[in-house]
Amino acid sequence: MSQADLTMHGHSTAGAMAEPTFSVPAKKMAMWLFIIADTATFAGCLVAYGFIRNATPNWPRPFHSITNVALMTFILLTSSLTMLIAVREAHAGDKPKAFRWIMITAVAGALFAILHIREWMNMIGEGATLFHNPWGTPLFSSCFFAITGLHLLHVTGGIIALIAVGIRYQGGRYKADDIEITGLYWHFVDLVWMFVVPLVYLLNLSH
Amino acid sequence: MHDMSAHAVPHGAPTSFIRKHVFSLDHKVIGKQYYALALLAALIGMALSWIMRIHLGWGSFAIPGLHLLSSTGAPGNVLTPEYYLQLMTMHGTIMVFFVLTTAPFAAFGNFFLPIQTGAEDMPFPHFNMMSFWVTFVGFWVLIASFFVADGPTLGGWTQYAPLSAIGSVGGPGQGLGVVLWATSIAIFCVGQLFGSLNFITTTLDMRCKGMSLMRLPLTAWGWFITSVMGLTAFAVLMPACILLILDHVAGTSFFVASNLVINDQVLPHSGGSTLLWQHLFWFFGHPEVYIAIVPGMGIVSHVLITNMRKPMLSHRVLIYSMAALAVLSYMVYGHHMFVSGMNPISSLVFSFPTLVITIPSTIVVLMWLGSLYGSKLRINSASLFALGFVSMFISGGVSGFFLAQPSIDIMLHATYFVVGHFHLVMGVAAMFGIFAGTYFWFPKMTGRMMNETLGKAHFILSFIGAYCIFMPFHYLGIAGNVRRYQAFTDDYLIPLIPVHKFITVAALVTGFAQLIFVYNLIHSRFKGAIASDNPWQGTSLEWSTATPPPHNNFGDKMPVVYHDPYQYSVEGASADFIMQTSPEKINSPNEEK
Amino acid sequence: MTTAEPQKGNGIGKDLAVYVCMLVLAGIQFFIAFQDITAAQMFERMLIVAIIEGGLALLFFMHLADNRGLRWFVIIFTVSVLLGMQYGWTDSSRLTNGVPWGRVNVNTQ
Repeated sequence: MSQADLTMHGHSTAGAMAEPTFSVPAKKMAMWLFIIADTATFAGCLVAYGFIRNATPNWPRPFHSITNVALMTFILLTSSLTMLIAVREAHAGDKPKAFRWIMITAVAGALFAILHIREWMNMIGEGATLFHNPWGTPLFSSCFFAITGLHLLHVTGGIIALIAVGIRYQGGRYKADDIEITGLYWHFVDLVWMFVVPLVYLLNLSH
Repeated sequence: MHDMSAHAVPHGAPTSFIRKHVFSLDHKVIGKQYYALALLAALIGMALSWIMRIHLGWGSFAIPGLHLLSSTGAPGNVLTPEYYLQLMTMHGTIMVFFVLTTAPFAAFGNFFLPIQTGAEDMPFPHFNMMSFWVTFVGFWVLIASFFVADGPTLGGWTQYAPLSAIGSVGGPGQGLGVVLWATSIAIFCVGQLFGSLNFITTTLDMRCKGMSLMRLPLTAWGWFITSVMGLTAFAVLMPACILLILDHVAGTSFFVASNLVINDQVLPHSGGSTLLWQHLFWFFGHPEVYIAIVPGMGIVSHVLITNMRKPMLSHRVLIYSMAALAVLSYMVYGHHMFVSGMNPISSLVFSFPTLVITIPSTIVVLMWLGSLYGSKLRINSASLFALGFVSMFISGGVSGFFLAQPSIDIMLHATYFVVGHFHLVMGVAAMFGIFAGTYFWFPKMTGRMMNETLGKAHFILSFIGAYCIFMPFHYLGIAGNVRRYQAFTDDYLIPLIPVHKFITVAALVTGFAQLIFVYNLIHSRFKGAIASDNPWQGTSLEWSTATPPPHNNFGDKMPVVYHDPYQYSVEGASADFIMQTSPEKINSPNEEK
Repeated sequence: MTTAEPQKGNGIGKDLAVYVCMLVLAGIQFFIAFQDITAAQMFERMLIVAIIEGGLALLFFMHLADNRGLRWFVIIFTVSVLLGMQYGWTDSSRLTNGVPWGRVNVNTQ
């Protein structure tokens, strides 16, 4: 769905339509609906993980250090703040500033992804795969990689979306509202991480 | 800017053949594409049921040419026990996903929802196009499993673990067959997600001037409520399918417990839970039942009202009841699992909302019956099928009262009683909804009328036939006939074989009656009488535009709505019915604002 | 429209305040991880903090606080779907504890 679709036709029918429900235009509504659906997807995965973890005696708790995950959390939270600033600048009409903040957000996202992949590589180096790990039940690494992988996929998609929307925004094809909609998605990825961190990392911290 | 994104014209009229008929952005073409896909799927699903029924009635009967489908599955043109199960699985999957979900929801919804809300198209036509083509790919991935080495999966449309997760040691089709099945369904989920996003935003944001939510026709409400369910139900099924695929291809064991012994081998899996799959599956599966039936409820109400020439007793109560069904559908899914080894306390907990959900269902039925009482119903194919829907929904629904109670369900579960129950209440009823919709809207969709005589013949044969097939199922179930058996050689089942023979004959006759419908559909498409803009004297927006509707639905002038959709027989009005777009001032007690 | 809301009064201060709150809450989660409590207790406490964090993100980062209708639509829809997913727990704990509501927790090692 591109902005071009919406502007291809000459005559505008604005004013011929009823006020949108909740005063939310269609694109933003669609993003909210996608977020609701995605919440169900993540919740399904997290519930499945909880179900299995709770039913498995001697669940492994292999994590020793919280430094990396704390850093990742900090970066992702901060990227939400930079995204908020970008949306503000976009609504204020300051294109160059808005673009800069979007790119900062994307860079923060990339940093998060790099740290995440580095952590994955460490774990794989220690012998963890989807179906095996040195710490106990294989399901630990199945769940870990499945859930964090799903989240990483969302972060990657978010980075691509930020760059694409940012460039098109600078080129004039996308508007401030589109920045805000992309921002909604980015905050949602952040929101999910707030549940993934305690449930997947912190509960599996060794004492 | 705000106006741009909410109300702009989505796209211009296409000129090339490909953009017009294949990769079309027009919701009307996409709706027809969905209809064609559902029709093809229904014919395949019906053919599979014929093969199964013949095998159940006359086990040694050789069906000519069957070995062409699978030389190992049907040596000498007679089904092997495994291949019977494989065909049964495909019958269920094709029918539930690619017929009952696509036809009433995606096909009719796509065509008529934007017209009924007064929009020029859905807000995201590209997503809409992708929705169909993704579903299309999903369908062929499923069909492809007929042609892989072991054939399709035999696990049933619910794909219960551990059978579905242990790989080819579980039987033919349990390796690649399951992977293809799960891939197909995961793809299907993506398509329905795109569809649901479009449906909901159309309803909420693309209504024409004067069209308040309460002025939407009941069909639009049906599709809206269905898409709200579909949005989250499919979003949970998709990761479940992906976990199932991982169990196959990545060596995980989410759904297989430790130390499982199959065919004298200990499987290398450890730690998973078989019940987890059922919880995830039925969390989707129960809303899916309502995804299949709620659009039918909308269509049937719409058809009945138009043919009764009076509104339902209460527009709002019907809407609230359908919404209540949607909410409750997320709370009852465990009633599919009473005998799964689920915690008995959960059975009790699930039983309660299951009995509660019969309340809105009953209200809907009473609303129909109460409104029909004393009305002068116009008898035509559409209204007959609508009545048939009501009848099937009641007959199938009553057996639901029995199955909702764990103590009774323990005896009836996994027998033909359950098969009879869901075929009537969700299968045949939803099918009748599709037929009612087809006879009713065919003029608007194609510009030609369907043949009424053939339509009535189709109805009579289908109605009697469906009861002849599925009522004896209840009797078989109470007699203890277990479902999914491919032959009845046990002592206590032998006396039931004549009943199966009767059902097989009824199924063949009813199946041939559907060919009348297909003939009628194709013949009328090219040779039918030319339809006027409003052949049924309806009031909602689809009848106020040309037949068939122009590319942007309403030509140059956007409609403005002054009334609710069902102003029939209003006292003191100038005519028997008042179109939603008619500016005439009326004094009606049930006018929605 | 809702989109005009963030322009009012340059509320970057509010964003910063929420951001700091979120950092503190995330810190609390990490703090809980080092407490000497059972996994079940840890899970409960962390989940409560995560829900507060999520609520803050929804209300202020995603601006649900500014739109009453959308707020209730999203919250009621999401919460009821999430609640529907919680039926499976009795089966999960029964697999290890043998009793439906057992408080015996196996993850305390």
